[in-house]
Amino acid sequence: MLEVSNLRKVYGPDPHAAPAVDGLSFAVADQEFVCILGSSGCGKTTMLRCLSGLTPATSGSVVLRGKPVNGPPEDMAFVFQDYSRSLLPWMTVRRNIAFPLRYKGVDRRRAAELTDEALDAVGLAGRGDRYPWQLSGGMQQRVAIARALAYRPGILLMDEPFASVDAQTRSGLEDLLLNVWQRYGITVLFVTHDIDEAVYLADRVLVLRPPANVGHEAVVGLPRPRNQVATKQEPEFGRLRGELYAALDGRPVVA
Amino acid sequence: MSLDGAATIDARRGTPAAGARLPPGRAGRLLASRRVRDLGLKVSGVLTVLLALELCSRVGLLSRDWFPPVTDTYAELFRLGMGRPLWVEIGRTLNGWAIGLALATLLAVPFGILLGSSPAAYRMSRVVIEFCRPVPSVALIPLAVLVYGVGLEMKVFLIVFVTFWPILLQVVYGVTDVDPVVRDTARAYGLPAHARFFRITLPSAAPYIATGLRIAAAIALVLAVTAELVVGAPGLGQSIVVAQSNAQLPRMYALIIVTGLVGWVLNMAFQAVERRLLRWHPSQRQEESR
Repeated sequence: MLEVSNLRKVYGPDPHAAPAVDGLSFAVADQEFVCILGSSGCGKTTMLRCLSGLTPATSGSVVLRGKPVNGPPEDMAFVFQDYSRSLLPWMTVRRNIAFPLRYKGVDRRRAAELTDEALDAVGLAGRGDRYPWQLSGGMQQRVAIARALAYRPGILLMDEPFASVDAQTRSGLEDLLLNVWQRYGITVLFVTHDIDEAVYLADRVLVLRPPANVGHEAVVGLPRPRNQVATKQEPEFGRLRGELYAALDGRPVVA
Repeated sequence: MSLDGAATIDARRGTPAAGARLPPGRAGRLLASRRVRDLGLKVSGVLTVLLALELCSRVGLLSRDWFPPVTDTYAELFRLGMGRPLWVEIGRTLNGWAIGLALATLLAVPFGILLGSSPAAYRMSRVVIEFCRPVPSVALIPLAVLVYGVGLEMKVFLIVFVTFWPILLQVVYGVTDVDPVVRDTARAYGLPAHARFFRITLPSAAPYIATGLRIAAAIALVLAVTAELVVGAPGLGQSIVVAQSNAQLPRMYALIIVTGLVGWVLNMAFQAVERRLLRWHPSQRQEESR
């Protein structure tokens, strides 16, 4: 589905400057949920921008379904951390979700259907005629997710999407995301700095060490559907937590 | 008409806030009574000042030769308002104002978009802009008279030259100040360049442009009246000079009040339009958010 090989990104004109991403290689399978875990400043955002084609990489390649990524691909949707800024305040919720579809060649009627369906999937049916700024933070991020869902992407890139909502809202959003991921059968690449969140959501967790390359990989064998209480009580959850904590710290992982 | 006009605008502005969005019942009544009290305070403030002025000139504290009683001025204002000539003069002033402002907008908006989208063009033109912008408008009057005579064209030239800059700069700021997250969003969802411009750049620049237009509108009125005063182009400004030289002091004061009212009404009109079109912008949201 998505193959990243030997990705390198150096900002600025000097090719010998310290790279933000160096020697990054990994692959994501179809319909897989992969979390990228890294502490702040380890190049997560740069990596995601290169993967999405928003920023050109210095060298290396990103291949999505056999096609090299040079600009934002049509098969990809992006959810930003800063929901309040990524939703357009001059458009209603419905228009925010529907407007990218027009440029994908979706006709008006189909766009309306997709919008309704996506709103329904994130539990915001009936809020379509409000403006984003009339909604709470959690609801705004749900609108951003709905926009991504309506776009019907093969892969969904999420850049710390739940980092700026409160804990309660956050668990709700996590469950909502797992729900739509399964319902829509999409591939998700989810960037976070939160170990618990990564383990709870993912099939596989990749730990990034600066300059962003995969320092450790953990396969999450926890059963699905996951549950905020039961899953987090499993011994396996605790073990993975410890493993990833050590990996983030750069210590050797004790099995 | 000016007062009627003001009342209509005020009513229009009041309706959505007071009618549609207010919670029904007690809260609504409370707010309504606060509004009435507010209005009462404003009116009594104005009345106090007028009364003080009236007393001062009646008692002789202010020389009656230069400060006729306020009642005389308002009687004159009323008389003028009933007749046609005043409206003709207002029309003349507004004619120059509107043509000048429209031309300046038509020139400054596309130019600003160009400069805002091309850093090279902006850097190239910055010195020129920084030089032309602070030239005092009045200093241009001799040139304007020399080239365009003393009529409407001269007024329009002055207004265009001076109001072009604030509009231009606001457009440049607006176009360059698009939120990077918004820009990324548009790119991530594959919006083509023209769509990015019309759906993203223009709406996010709109509040800046609106402010530029409102500032320019006020400046344009000052310039129109100045040109009429100094050069004698027909309009309110010229009428003020004529009243003064005929020693018709109440009329002169009445006309000054008229120019104030015209400026006030224009500003209110701009604000009302802004409030309607930019309902989504934080500065216009009021109690509506959340």
